[in-house]
Amino acid sequence: MYEADRALVARMCAGEQPAFNEFFNALAPRLVAFLARRSRLDPASLEDVVQCALIKAVRNLAQYRGEAALLTWLTEICRHELADVHRKAARQPVHVSLDETAVKAALQLQLRAPEHQEPVAELQSASQLASIVRVLDDLPEPYAQVLEAKYGDGMSVEEMAQQLGLTAISVQSLLARAREAFRKLWTARMLGADPVRLRS
Amino acid sequence: MTDPPDPEATPEHVRNVEKTLTAALKTRPLKKESLERIHAAVEAEWLAAIGAPKHRSVRPRFVRWALYGIAASLLAVLIAFRVTAPSVQGANFGSISRLAAVGLDVRSGFFQHRAVRVGDALRVGDQFTAPGAMLITFDRGGSLRVATGSRLSIATATRLSLENGLIYVDVPESVPNPLRVSTTVGDIEHIGTEFEVMSDGQGVRIRVREGRIRFTGKTTTLAAGEGTELLAMPGGGVTQRSVDSYGRDWLWLAELAPDYEIEGRPLIDFLQWASRELGRHLDFADARSRQIAEHTILHGSVRGQLPVDALSHVLTTTSLAYEIRNETIWVHTGT
Repeated sequence: MYEADRALVARMCAGEQPAFNEFFNALAPRLVAFLARRSRLDPASLEDVVQCALIKAVRNLAQYRGEAALLTWLTEICRHELADVHRKAARQPVHVSLDETAVKAALQLQLRAPEHQEPVAELQSASQLASIVRVLDDLPEPYAQVLEAKYGDGMSVEEMAQQLGLTAISVQSLLARAREAFRKLWTARMLGADPVRLRS
Repeated sequence: MTDPPDPEATPEHVRNVEKTLTAALKTRPLKKESLERIHAAVEAEWLAAIGAPKHRSVRPRFVRWALYGIAASLLAVLIAFRVTAPSVQGANFGSISRLAAVGLDVRSGFFQHRAVRVGDALRVGDQFTAPGAMLITFDRGGSLRVATGSRLSIATATRLSLENGLIYVDVPESVPNPLRVSTTVGDIEHIGTEFEVMSDGQGVRIRVREGRIRFTGKTTTLAAGEGTELLAMPGGGVTQRSVDSYGRDWLWLAELAPDYEIEGRPLIDFLQWASRELGRHLDFADARSRQIAEHTILHGSVRGQLPVDALSHVLTTTSLAYEIRNETIWVHTGT
């Protein structure tokens, strides 16, 4: 499985510059998008996390055995990097004021750049995005990947087929199943039903 | 491998799912230069990991020598650039005293890029977008508070450009060289004051909290004093109105207020600092309460507290109390 990914990594290990470029151009933007959906990091921090994750990946290329898609392998490294960032942030001392509720609420509104840079709508949609991402994270990995690739990264069926080593018809079928699995789980969550984890 | 058909799945359901996912999953890509930086760093690591010699391709000798020549020329140009501008690049502007983010990515010209954290210096030539609210303190006195997302570039030790965002300048009158803020519609300079500048990349709003500023636009130069708001528009028009120096509009500054060290300081100094931070005048009920404030020496620390909290906590340890009456902090004896 994932022969194309294994072959790409093998070419990179052999020092082929085109292989590195192919790896970077195909995967780095998708990792950025993957992290952006799962965090509220600013662009500079996002850049740092993706850079650290990719550096760890290229240092450990030999450990990639093709048991999962290369993108999946990289997203796991990203998840660990993101967890590190959150752990470090949590260790920062926090000063809590005694009678702060009103002040804090006002600060949350005030302590930011002009509205067009940080629109209220963005803040309001953040919790919905978090719920959707949680549903995606609970779907089987191939389902989550095709949905993110199609609706988040804007990839065409043909591009996905090429990347996954499948036919366009197979990808369309996979997409349909993924959409349906998402719809069921999302509806269940919206109705407050007990979430069913489809991912083992 | 195939899921059983679901009677509930209609074309409308599919459209709804597609709409939900498209709206939620679209992200803003990183800028091209950010990806190029990541590419360069990761490529360097990859080459190191695999051993760079494997990567070196065999080129005809004359091509190699031509490439060496181009590289040497570029290096010479870079060195010349660095040598001719040593006095401007690198001069200290101020230090980061507080930053509500993991780190700050700073660029200097085309070639330099570094990560800075609390305690690090910002230098002339630096350009950055504040990833979180930040406080910058100047060695010569005074401070600059910057709201999240604001884009700044530092032109000289006493001049900065605000491309976009919100900043607050607090420089005492005793500081010899005033700070000058450049915006798309004009420059703001002051002599000993506190003022706020907000830019959306086109128009600019200036609010003077204390002292006076001078605004020099494309067609107008005008002075504005305490409690004045100026709105300067891209076409050159400027409108003016009165604003309060206290209240909700100024709350964003409280969390960025520089720490005030109370140990060994007279209470009256602390009261003056707190009232200035809160944008209000200090007033005493009578001569006795003023005398107590002048003769009381404080001990301890109010580090990390908001100015209003510090005021409350400090006064509870003395025989004085306070009331906030609109623009005045009124200090009196008793409870």
